[in-house]
Amino acid sequence: MGWEDPGTGVPETVRTALADQPVAGRTCLEAGAGVGNTTAGLLEAGARRVYAVTDDADHAATVRERCGDDDRLVVLRGDLRQTPLATDSVDLVTAHALCTVLDPPALADVVGELTRVAAPDCHLVVDDYAPLPVDAAMRRLVAVVNAASELADGRPALSFYPSTLLRRLFEGHGWRFDRETTLLDPVPWTAKHLRAHLVLVKQSTERLPPDLGDPLEQRADRLVDEVAATSVGTMYSLAFHQGT
Amino acid sequence: METRTLGATGHESTVLTFGTIALKWLEQEGANQMVEHVLDYGVNHFDVAPMYGDAELKLGPKLRQYREDIFLGCKTQERGYEGARRKLALSLNRMGIETIDLYQVHGLEYEHELDEITADDGALSAFREAKDEGLVDHLGLTSHGDPALIKAAIERIDDLETVMFPLNPVVAAKDDAEHDYEGVLELAEEHDVGTLGIKAFAKGSWPPASERYEEDRPFANWYEPVSRPDEIRERFDFAAAQGLTTVVSSGDPKLVSMMLDAADRYDGMDEATQRSVVEAARHDDSPVPEQLHH
Repeated sequence: MGWEDPGTGVPETVRTALADQPVAGRTCLEAGAGVGNTTAGLLEAGARRVYAVTDDADHAATVRERCGDDDRLVVLRGDLRQTPLATDSVDLVTAHALCTVLDPPALADVVGELTRVAAPDCHLVVDDYAPLPVDAAMRRLVAVVNAASELADGRPALSFYPSTLLRRLFEGHGWRFDRETTLLDPVPWTAKHLRAHLVLVKQSTERLPPDLGDPLEQRADRLVDEVAATSVGTMYSLAFHQGT
Repeated sequence: METRTLGATGHESTVLTFGTIALKWLEQEGANQMVEHVLDYGVNHFDVAPMYGDAELKLGPKLRQYREDIFLGCKTQERGYEGARRKLALSLNRMGIETIDLYQVHGLEYEHELDEITADDGALSAFREAKDEGLVDHLGLTSHGDPALIKAAIERIDDLETVMFPLNPVVAAKDDAEHDYEGVLELAEEHDVGTLGIKAFAKGSWPPASERYEEDRPFANWYEPVSRPDEIRERFDFAAAQGLTTVVSSGDPKLVSMMLDAADRYDGMDEATQRSVVEAARHDDSPVPEQLHH
């Protein structure tokens, strides 16, 4: 989900998702730059320019630190609901584990913006996590993350969209569907991922009264132990293009 | 158990090779039982070395009994002609056999060693002479070292028939030349060189001695291994799915049965699952190449 340390290299998930895409020589947008995994992948694959857009200052700094010596890279802090790029200006858009952190209203706005900045022959890659199985402990942990953020902000922190839903959403904005690939099956929820979920819970609960927040934190702690770096669920990749 | 052609040797090796270092930790009766157990699973490729304690001696009785059923790899750390001849004779003598199927230069780590073994008075000249005399059938090489060095060896040694090197998700997740054993695998396939994978079951390096002394380690391995059946199966499936000819079992006898079971049940691993295994290991520390001296 883009919370882990960047480490070295480009993850195989990113390489796989980009393998059949026209990256070389193209102007690319990494929508929701995270720690820059896809930015690194786009640069590695020969992008002419990469705009890495994120609304998170830490992520922006991480991406700059990781890839900033490449003069093809522009890291922009901005809100993807008002993407700071011109209309028809991008040849390839990537959204790697972005939709999961967008609630439905934000997703609707962002899809509109990604479509606006796309050039007439633009390609689009959307990678994300399928909804977790109902009986997965990891799903219960996500439920606690969302319960805390719903109480604090009135919206969920994480939404797991089925690939069919995203496909129809982008098709509804005029994108033509190319393919769906399974990137991860199962998804490894590493200790770093689990700690990141705990951070999300704490970010919400510190804005709640203790009688609401404390039990949620305690439950999240217990669930992290229960999940304990298991692998469950799938990550998919959808590819689309504009034009005929 | 599935078999795969071991490069130009033409031997159909089982997808699991029995690393006989496991015999080092057993009494003779237990060693005999272990070999019977491994053979019951259909494993036909064994690997031994004189530096595995008394494993050669303990393998001897069952090896002689089932000589026709076992493709035997052995190796030497000698780099020169004389030493290699002497060590080969010692290994044959200790095991009580006439021929070693695959004799390997063991543990190549440095570039100058490649020059030494390929020189006129190098180990390979002894290997070739032994081959002419019928003491050895095929020539191989093992290394835990720089992948570029193994690739150079494949390019330079025309009659090299196998290479043995580390391959596991922790290594596969490292995106640098120092861990590019996948590149070795590709080049070996290009040259029809058989590939034996080691450290498939490595979870990481052992903690430093200040935290856990060698005698307190729960497994007789140079590295900390995965030890649950599901983990062992996942690691085996991953290694076998990379295209290695065969995966060498690790050194602790307690783990061998689980490895045999994993190899026996192997039916491939799809790409999404392989990526999942690599992704899970992406931030782990690699036990390679820190622990070179196997």
